[in-house]
Amino acid sequence: MDKSPRISFYEDIRKNKIQSFFLITIVFAVLLALAYTIGFVVGGDFFWMILIIGTIISLIYVVGGYYKSAELAIMSVNAKLADQTTYRQFHNIIEGLCLASGLPKPKLYIMQNAQINAFASGRDPKHAVICVTTGALEKLNKQELEGVLAHELSHIANYDIRFMTLTAVLVGMISIISQIFLRSLFWGSFGGGNDERGGQLRIILMVVGIVLAILAPIIVSLVQLAISRKREYAADSSAVKFMRTPTGLIGALKKIESNQAMKVSGAIAPLFLAKPGKEHEWFMTHPPLAKRIEKLQRM
Amino acid sequence: MNWITWAITGGIALIVVVIFAYYNKFVRLSTQIDNSLAQIDVQLRKRSDLVPNLLASVKGYMKHESKIITEVTNARKAMLSSEGVVNKMKAGNKLEGALKSLFAVAENYPNLKANENFLQLQQELSSIEDKIAYARQYYNDGIMSYSVSVKTIPGKWFASMFGFKEKEYLKIPEASRAVPKLDF
Repeated sequence: MDKSPRISFYEDIRKNKIQSFFLITIVFAVLLALAYTIGFVVGGDFFWMILIIGTIISLIYVVGGYYKSAELAIMSVNAKLADQTTYRQFHNIIEGLCLASGLPKPKLYIMQNAQINAFASGRDPKHAVICVTTGALEKLNKQELEGVLAHELSHIANYDIRFMTLTAVLVGMISIISQIFLRSLFWGSFGGGNDERGGQLRIILMVVGIVLAILAPIIVSLVQLAISRKREYAADSSAVKFMRTPTGLIGALKKIESNQAMKVSGAIAPLFLAKPGKEHEWFMTHPPLAKRIEKLQRM
Repeated sequence: MNWITWAITGGIALIVVVIFAYYNKFVRLSTQIDNSLAQIDVQLRKRSDLVPNLLASVKGYMKHESKIITEVTNARKAMLSSEGVVNKMKAGNKLEGALKSLFAVAENYPNLKANENFLQLQQELSSIEDKIAYARQYYNDGIMSYSVSVKTIPGKWFASMFGFKEKEYLKIPEASRAVPKLDF
């Protein structure tokens, strides 16, 4: 047997939830720090106007992104609804896994792609979608496909789909605010540049603000990616909980390992089963396959 | 004086919230358990509904296998007349065993194995088997979380308060994975 201790999946899921909560708190803290510094540096009414307009724009962006996330993801990969008779096995496996997890059946989609991959999206289990590539349906056997679909269904059960949508939206909002701040500073230096009150403190804060505005989007993106990677391990754990065996998922991940990378838009990359590109681990939406397989083999 | 009333109000509010949360948890878990039993029932019925179709598609090919066909027919009848999930599940397992023998014998009939309708029914029946296993697993999970929350503190106090008793654990027989022995 293996030297390392067996991982209890219930424990794993709990730990992941705590860590994710911690990570999202950091995102909020960065957002607050940014807003506070901006408020301090930019004193005039004019800039508050910009901030209010900016907030309205980001709110529209948040609400739109939240309610339309599944449709947007499906549209961007040009996926088609999987019909009941042609993709009978796909539907059967999902129905079985839904019985195991107590989830409502999500809408099923197929995307034309020779690579083995899949993703889940939507704001909650009632509005969820699962999409698989034609490659996955052709190259995986029934048990492996079941493992992959259990992983995707876990993203729905763990509310990862909502969580990832919200973080994506938050990260987007922080970069919008940073942009507004940097631009308004540029304008401000021409408009009210003669303002001498405040002195040194103002300049220091201004510098801090600029640094924060530049760094914040980078930091929160890294946090988002870290959350995304954590969530992959959690979804692997839950998939094992539903299937009571890791064999199928391990088989599928091994098959993916020997496959080539696929190309999708960066925004929806975190949604997929396996990372679509090749980057350093810090900039990756998914943990390395070898690490995931190793963890699964210990369950 | 003022902060004491605040503390008491806050304490009571907290207790009320906790009680509500536990009440809802018990109700949710009970519904989950009932629902998973209903799901097992649905799948068992679906299986017996498919049997006449299967026999119809098989009859033309397997003229000399009347023994197995009668066995399947009888198992289905027994299944339909049984009451309660446990008995239904037992009868269902017998039916499943008979169907497995039928599919094993079907291996000897290449024409039948090429029949689209037969293949479809075979796939459907095997997926029903998976679904029954999953629904049973979900039932057991539900029972487990229910009894943990009824037995542990503070759930134990609230459970007796609302009259949520520990549920009787129905030992739903597991479907045997082995292909049954054929006796000709």
